[in-house]
Amino acid sequence: MEAAAALPQVRINRFLPYVAVFQSDLKQTLRSWIYRLWVLLTMSATVGYLLYRFGAKQVGGFVQPAPEMVSDLMTWVVWGSITLIIVITSGAICGERGTMADSVLCRGISRTQYFLGKLHSRLVIVLGTFLLMSTVALAGSMFLLHSERLSLTGSLLAVATVAAILTMIVSIGVSVSAIANTTVVSITVVWMTLYGLGFLMSFLPADYPSPDRALQNLPNVLKGIYDLHHLTRLLAGTMAISLFMSVLGMVCFSRKDV
Amino acid sequence: MAENASDLVVESFKLTKIYQNRQIALNDVTLRLEPGCVLGLLGHNGAGKTTLLRLILGLHRPTAGWVRVFGGIMTPNAAALRSRIGFIPTNPQFPRGMTPITYLDYIARLFGLPADIRKPRLASLIRAVDLLNVSGDIIDGFSNGMTARLAVAASLINEPDLLIWDEPTHGLDPEGRRSMLNLIKTLAREKTLIVSSHNLSDIDEVCNHAAVLSRGHLIYFGSLQDLKGRMRKNMYELDLDADQKAITKAFNVIKSMQEFRTVNLRQRRLEIRLTEEAATAPTLANVMMALTDNKVNLISIRNSGQVTEQAFLDLVEKEESRGFARAYNPEAA
Repeated sequence: MEAAAALPQVRINRFLPYVAVFQSDLKQTLRSWIYRLWVLLTMSATVGYLLYRFGAKQVGGFVQPAPEMVSDLMTWVVWGSITLIIVITSGAICGERGTMADSVLCRGISRTQYFLGKLHSRLVIVLGTFLLMSTVALAGSMFLLHSERLSLTGSLLAVATVAAILTMIVSIGVSVSAIANTTVVSITVVWMTLYGLGFLMSFLPADYPSPDRALQNLPNVLKGIYDLHHLTRLLAGTMAISLFMSVLGMVCFSRKDV
Repeated sequence: MAENASDLVVESFKLTKIYQNRQIALNDVTLRLEPGCVLGLLGHNGAGKTTLLRLILGLHRPTAGWVRVFGGIMTPNAAALRSRIGFIPTNPQFPRGMTPITYLDYIARLFGLPADIRKPRLASLIRAVDLLNVSGDIIDGFSNGMTARLAVAASLINEPDLLIWDEPTHGLDPEGRRSMLNLIKTLAREKTLIVSSHNLSDIDEVCNHAAVLSRGHLIYFGSLQDLKGRMRKNMYELDLDADQKAITKAFNVIKSMQEFRTVNLRQRRLEIRLTEEAATAPTLANVMMALTDNKVNLISIRNSGQVTEQAFLDLVEKEESRGFARAYNPEAA
């Protein structure tokens, strides 16, 4: 009894396993070629387009309004690099089948912590890269094109709108990755889900918010012309889908053999 | 003996695993593992050894039945129970781009160990497994022996009460194998171990209990001595030296004795099996006398019933030979 009392108690940090997975995944993804390719393409397109417009304005006097230009760039991130975002997120869990069980899940970590660590790491990477790109685009438009038509509140709302859509894509990607057995299957399912959802939502009445309509309406939002109620419904809708998919992925992953 | 269930390290009840309604990997496994037990898990390829270990670790979910570890039901989310287990898989795989230091630090963080505890511990483990000179190198280029030593360090970083090692000597050279067995013997003084291995001499050397799986079914669970003793009990092999005529003469004398169930001669090796009633010492004395009378030298004598491999093979063979009788088990009923 005395001997047991004398034993030093090891302090266990319950959040450390989650933080370990989060940090490790963040480092690995940042080092991956697919992420570097995405950043290279996105930043090249952003800076290149900005300089092109700046040159056109300086040399030829052709002025494209900043809201349209920033809207174009943000829309490109969603549509143009959607494949790369899907690949980055859809292999998050099923892509590590070999090491996952042998090195990670057999230790003192729960499936929930592992799933959340992966989800949050991919969200930080995708949203962080998007925010960086949109900051460059907005700052570039402000300083290079001297646009007075760009509204600050509208810009923040536009960034929030695209970020919400990206959050939904990442959540679906990571959740499907937790359920699927291989990365190829995961990517295929995410592709089909996103395009299927987009196709079905195009049949909804015009007053229903959909990602496609929200992206089309971005130039107006950037100018400060927006319906706050409509935008709030869109944000709430995408957050609800993200939450639902995350919970579904987490529950399925907690019941899966690895 | 553990008096109640909470004292047991591992307890399973009617544990069954069926993969996608296609493959029965484990069938009705009930076992109880007490503290201090060193269990050798035996079975052919596909017998269900790894499935059983993965169920104990919560990496797989049972189709039916349950498994308790340290008194708590093991589930995929039972992180607290797993934090008292150290696991080595058959072919350990490591995350890419990590060094032994970053890998062990990562594993220690997965157990929730704060920096002031995990840093000194990982340093002493790296030294203990002799990876000090490669502690900053990327693991991807390591040999089998080095990865095995790193896996040992990873399994000990949380100072576990239960160690589950799936074929720990797999792919090791004789020196590495010897070190591993010595380590298991040292750890067995303080911890409970489950060691799965195809190498039965390893099991024989380090384990005090055995569980034998055959096609997913647990056909034996008990002490290793019982397993060895109950199979081919009272069976001896004698290597002889003399001309064949003298050996044959001695063989005929021994064969005529009543105390033997079977007596076989293969070249210069005599195999004798005593009846249950026969007293070992006087009967063997009579054998020696017969050999002496016929001028046959005895080179060696061994009790073949003490060989785990033979006992294991006999047990599996016996189970297979039961045929449809396996469908009814009065003990289970």
